[in-house]
Amino acid sequence: MGIIEVRGLHYSYPNATSQALKGIDLTIDKGEFILLTGPSGCGKTTFCRTLNGLIPHFYNGDMKGEVTVTGFNVREHPTYKLAQHVGLIFQNPDNQIFALTVEKDVAFGLENQGVPKDKMREEISWALETTGIDHLKDRATHEMSGGQKQRLAIASILAMKPKVLVLDEPTSFLDPLGAERIFRVLDTLNKEYEMTILLIEHRVDLATQYVDRVIIFSDGQIANQGSPEEVFTDETTRLVGVGIPRVIELSDRLKSKGILLDRTPLNPTMLVEQLQDRIKRENASRKAVDPDLDLYTGEQWVNPIIEIEGVTFNYPSVDKALDDVSLTIHKGEFVAIMGENGAGKTTLVKHLNGLLRPQEGRIKIDGADIADLSVANLARKVGLVFQNPDDQLFSENVEEEISFALRNFGFGSDVIDKRVDWAVNLLDLERYRKSSPFILSGGERKRVALGSVLAWDPEIVVLDEPTIGQDYAQKERLRHFLMQLRTQGKTIVIVTHDVEFVAECKPRIVLMADGKIIADGPIKKVMTDKEAMARASVTPPEITKVFQQLSEYGLPDNVIDVGEAVDILSQVLEAST
Amino acid sequence: MSLLEGLRFTRGDSLIHRLDPRVKFLMTMVIFTSAILFMDLLPLLTIFLVQIPLIFIAEIQQEWTKSMKGSVFLATIIFSTNLISYYFFQSRSLNTENVETALALTVRFLNLITSFSLFFLTTSPDKLSLALEKARIPYEFNFAFITAIRFVPVLADEAQSIIDAQRSRGLELDKGSFLTKIRNYIPILLPLIINSIRRSLDLAEAMESRAFGATRDRTNLFELVMEGRDYAVIVISLVLLAAVIYMKLYLPPFEPLFPYRVLI
Repeated sequence: MGIIEVRGLHYSYPNATSQALKGIDLTIDKGEFILLTGPSGCGKTTFCRTLNGLIPHFYNGDMKGEVTVTGFNVREHPTYKLAQHVGLIFQNPDNQIFALTVEKDVAFGLENQGVPKDKMREEISWALETTGIDHLKDRATHEMSGGQKQRLAIASILAMKPKVLVLDEPTSFLDPLGAERIFRVLDTLNKEYEMTILLIEHRVDLATQYVDRVIIFSDGQIANQGSPEEVFTDETTRLVGVGIPRVIELSDRLKSKGILLDRTPLNPTMLVEQLQDRIKRENASRKAVDPDLDLYTGEQWVNPIIEIEGVTFNYPSVDKALDDVSLTIHKGEFVAIMGENGAGKTTLVKHLNGLLRPQEGRIKIDGADIADLSVANLARKVGLVFQNPDDQLFSENVEEEISFALRNFGFGSDVIDKRVDWAVNLLDLERYRKSSPFILSGGERKRVALGSVLAWDPEIVVLDEPTIGQDYAQKERLRHFLMQLRTQGKTIVIVTHDVEFVAECKPRIVLMADGKIIADGPIKKVMTDKEAMARASVTPPEITKVFQQLSEYGLPDNVIDVGEAVDILSQVLEAST
Repeated sequence: MSLLEGLRFTRGDSLIHRLDPRVKFLMTMVIFTSAILFMDLLPLLTIFLVQIPLIFIAEIQQEWTKSMKGSVFLATIIFSTNLISYYFFQSRSLNTENVETALALTVRFLNLITSFSLFFLTTSPDKLSLALEKARIPYEFNFAFITAIRFVPVLADEAQSIIDAQRSRGLELDKGSFLTKIRNYIPILLPLIINSIRRSLDLAEAMESRAFGATRDRTNLFELVMEGRDYAVIVISLVLLAAVIYMKLYLPPFEPLFPYRVLI
């Protein structure tokens, strides 16, 4: 019998019209590391809640079937008992930290169980060491970075020594490096302490490299499961709308061109190992694309629309959040600002509509100095969409929400009606016109927030972390939408740390670290600037990692997306067989 | 607001910081009671001066100065209302005695602020909660207290994000008449309230997952243990309290500091 046994599990939330889980049967063995993924709203989170009895004890609703975890039937045991065997870790680290200092927070679960003090000390120091935050023991919890907070959340659960660890999108608020650290911690726990791990993630690229089994949820059911090789090469997975890890996608598309690999690659190195012997150097260098060609053929820009000159900004608590930053963005350009959490990206974009004012230096929008313009005035030109839609939705229905800004700007009612129609159509929200924004799903709420800004047709659109918490299909949709805006001649600035998203959109990249711009240029140039990328703690896209390893065979090292990779490889590999 | 600066805990490792919070509370209460017992300038000034070295030992002079500056406004009001009421409700004249009493009441107010600063600036909420626990206050209250403090910075960040988002949508907070100004805050308050409700659900789930309420016999990582210096402070505080009460009950009242003269 497995450590988790699920039989015929059905569940619907109170007052819900449809079932969230529709017949799950699953066995998970001790020591497995499992990736659970699927489109938003497929029931992943609901499923996690059944594993420590939050369902049915905390959420009532209607549950059928049996869930047994470490031999305990969740129906018969309260959550506080199950919590000693199954640890649940949630998406937002802030909402799972209860104490004012790190050590005390790790102790919280143990104190609740009445563990004696000496034993408690042992468990705490083990948990802090395993997650690599023992040096922060006495730190105040609110002074930690997002990545540190999430590691603290894991430590706090670990201290209770559960046999099963369930993590619900633990890395979605973190930068790539922070996410990788979390994965390494999980890998250690799985390999050294034989902990059973169930991980929910949208970032399949990274997760695939660590897990033994992948389970795909779709509409409250298991759509597919098996080894990562099986699941991600299977057509069902693609149809459900789940992202395929880039290296697997590459090998799949090579296969359709008649180039077969012996084993499905799960990480860049596995792919490189299988390719390297089949590439002939002389063919490669002959067939390779001139790496600098794009620099010459790329679009040329003439009309500057955002001019930032020597801007410095200090917060009361942070010195040099921006340190002498200069940046020019042209009309119609598409720019992505990237870098570690706390590098100053959001601080920079908040200067664009005057929410923050430079302490030194100046900013011109469309040729005019903005020092004397109010935020409301600037907002007409610069539409800023923030990361969390819940920080701005407040109206009775979607229509009202979208017209809020239009009324603030004093548009007439006939214009407002027209603009609302336009925005609702653009973002495919027609069905929800009269619905409350609060009953919509996360992705839909994000679209309403976006629509409420686009409605007044700002010339410059700035998006702060638009891909956070979005599943594969939603990201694709966003990408198409951004392309559509570009064709309308809009200037687009996004702040993101989603390298794979950027690799597909191919904007100009501005890399930031410690309040400074450390690299700026076409994506191919910046993504292959190893030194700057390391300083900004941005990892290159998976495909670039492959080509960086292949560059010694004469292939270009600045390939960033799958399509281009297939083109190049199919040429050099055909020649070699 | 800067008056309240003096009540926000600042980290430190001074002798005063390390005192057991219960003992520190006793000390503060002794200062407080002494300040309440006397109406004369001389003893109140003495109490004030006694506290100054303590402020320096605790290394909180900066924060204390801030709260003193913040108290100037209230202190002036206390001083002038006293004088005004003497003038209008008693004799239609003012003498040095009146001024001295008004001054004494002002110093008393500053004494109260200082003694509270001394306590709150040097006592971490964690220690405060341990003290509450020792006082057998149910853990649920204690937990609510700590959680409230824990989420102050989180909520402040969130409020800032909401204000930023709504201003970016053209909301002008300080525009219009008094009533419109209040209405302007609806787009800020609603998301704040709704997010807090969402957050409370998240928190409840996380608490359950950390075995909250698993046993009545909770243990505690840190426990308050009285040390030599704590006992010493208790003895000193009690002796001072006894001396103060003795003075008040058995010694003749204090002579005024200034010779009697009619001013107006």
